[in-house]
Amino acid sequence: MSIELTDIAYRYTDAVALDGIDLSIESGELLALLGPSGCGKTTLLRVIAGLEFPDRGHVRFEGRDVTALDARKRHVGFVFQHYALFNHLSVFENVAFGLRVRRWWKRPRRAELNRRVGELLDLVQLGELANRHPAQLSGGQRQRVALARALAVEPEILLLDEPFGALDARVRNDLRRWLRGLHDRIHVTSVFVTHDQEEAFELADRIAVMNRGRIEQIADAQTLYTKPASPFVCRFLGEVNELPSALHAAWTGERDAGAVAFVRPHDLELTPAAAAYAPARVETVRDLGATMRIEVRHPHVAAPLIAIQERGRFAETVLEPGQAVAVAARRWVMFPRDA
Amino acid sequence: MTERKRSTALRDPAWLRFALLAIALAFVAVFLVLPLVAVFVYAIEKGFAFFMDSLTDPDARAAIRLTLLVAAVSVPANTLFGVAAAWLITRFAFRGKNLLVSLIDLPFAVSPVIAGLIYVLLFGANGWLGPWLSAHDIRIIYAVPGIVLATTFVTFPFVARELIPLMQAQGSEEEQAALTLGAGGFAMFWRVVLPKIKWGLVYGVILCNARAMGEFGAVSVVSGHIRGVTNTMPLHVEILYNEYQRTAAFAVASLLALMALATLVLKQLVGWRMRRIEARSAAA
Repeated sequence: MSIELTDIAYRYTDAVALDGIDLSIESGELLALLGPSGCGKTTLLRVIAGLEFPDRGHVRFEGRDVTALDARKRHVGFVFQHYALFNHLSVFENVAFGLRVRRWWKRPRRAELNRRVGELLDLVQLGELANRHPAQLSGGQRQRVALARALAVEPEILLLDEPFGALDARVRNDLRRWLRGLHDRIHVTSVFVTHDQEEAFELADRIAVMNRGRIEQIADAQTLYTKPASPFVCRFLGEVNELPSALHAAWTGERDAGAVAFVRPHDLELTPAAAAYAPARVETVRDLGATMRIEVRHPHVAAPLIAIQERGRFAETVLEPGQAVAVAARRWVMFPRDA
Repeated sequence: MTERKRSTALRDPAWLRFALLAIALAFVAVFLVLPLVAVFVYAIEKGFAFFMDSLTDPDARAAIRLTLLVAAVSVPANTLFGVAAAWLITRFAFRGKNLLVSLIDLPFAVSPVIAGLIYVLLFGANGWLGPWLSAHDIRIIYAVPGIVLATTFVTFPFVARELIPLMQAQGSEEEQAALTLGAGGFAMFWRVVLPKIKWGLVYGVILCNARAMGEFGAVSVVSGHIRGVTNTMPLHVEILYNEYQRTAAFAVASLLALMALATLVLKQLVGWRMRRIEARSAAA
């Protein structure tokens, strides 16, 4: 089921959470809402779910306007950041909840209900833990119970709020891959919120980068990385050097003195040069195993420039602290200063 | 539960600890235990048969029945109000919420005698609604409805006061989860809210019930002390005592005291149970 958001605005009493959001999500897509904390991504997810109602704008599912419907009638699966499992119910009853609260004429019969819940527990690989209580489960297991519970009502839209936020790093990686596999099998339109770009890149078909209640850019990971729409997107997606005109004019040919070249550390090229011609000096060289991280001081830039070089390349051109280097870039993105 | 070991640096000298303990125990003995024992001693000073006669006297039986009736009406009513008020206050944002929270405490703040007087001024023969009520032949003051009203007023805060902090601490995420799963208001209450607040609610109801049975001041003002009709147990005790029937008065009083003791034991059990559940969910 496709989701269409037009001009969504949402104000808390003291702050603007969403400021005119337009977003369309295709049926079967897996979309990430990525942004720093406080950018409005969770609020947007809750607006889609019907847990918050926007001050302005419309939410449409498959063309049908659902803006005025509350969460109960929207028929979306929602996985909460801290799972919000029913602690007084067993795993089985947690998953069965959505079926049991249906009106009696829509409620499945006992055998049918047992079969459905059993299938879902198998899907999330928790079949043998059906009689446990949430308190007896690990974080990753609780997360999967929350997912099975949300899927039990056969939603056509699945919303996940920081789905891996409360898990430790290893479980998070496993569960991430497992969730991607699950999505490829069941093809439910899914939106998840995250502040972790790696997570967004690995899981999502497309990523909406949010900042201060607005969407800065929506694109797949590669486009975001190579053609960021704004300096914010560029900075948010990882370390980046910002070179003023004086440093880049020679190799970019850009004449505008106000243009800033954004260069990723691994795109920065350092070549040893005679001290008289190159004002930049290598400050530190750190061995990170597969790569070397080199910090370079340039008199025109306040922050040190960061270059990441592969070990192979590094072996050919030995750089040591104090070495004068010429700075150039293989790839860069240009934005006007103060954009 | 394991007690955390306290730093020895913070430990007071032994003589001070024993002195404080002795003072506390002496205070409890003189002000709490002694009176309680006295009630039972006086109650059976003329023998067990007299004790039973005092309790089975028609007026005493009427008083016991009335007390149970009043509790049977006002406790469920306040349970309902308390749950509704707690849900309203903890789950919705609205103008005047702080005022409502303060108003819930009003019955604790005003003297029960004043509470009784308010009802007399409202429903009494010379009160605001008095003429209308007598024209329709409805009796509230000096009748059972007045006693129920006054008791309900005085015991109103117990359930709400118990539930509000509990529901605030629990938050509403599970209810939101239930909502996204399609649960209606009724299903949400029975399947999600009630199981979570169950023990807190029982605790509040026990306290509410104890006060409803023991209330004297407010009931005294509105009852009119009509023997066998509008006398509750506490009022009956007072009348007996004023008529120099000391032993009979203490016999009825001992029954009230027994109810109070039973309430305390029940309260302790529920409190113990609540702490265990909290400890379990904290460990989770």
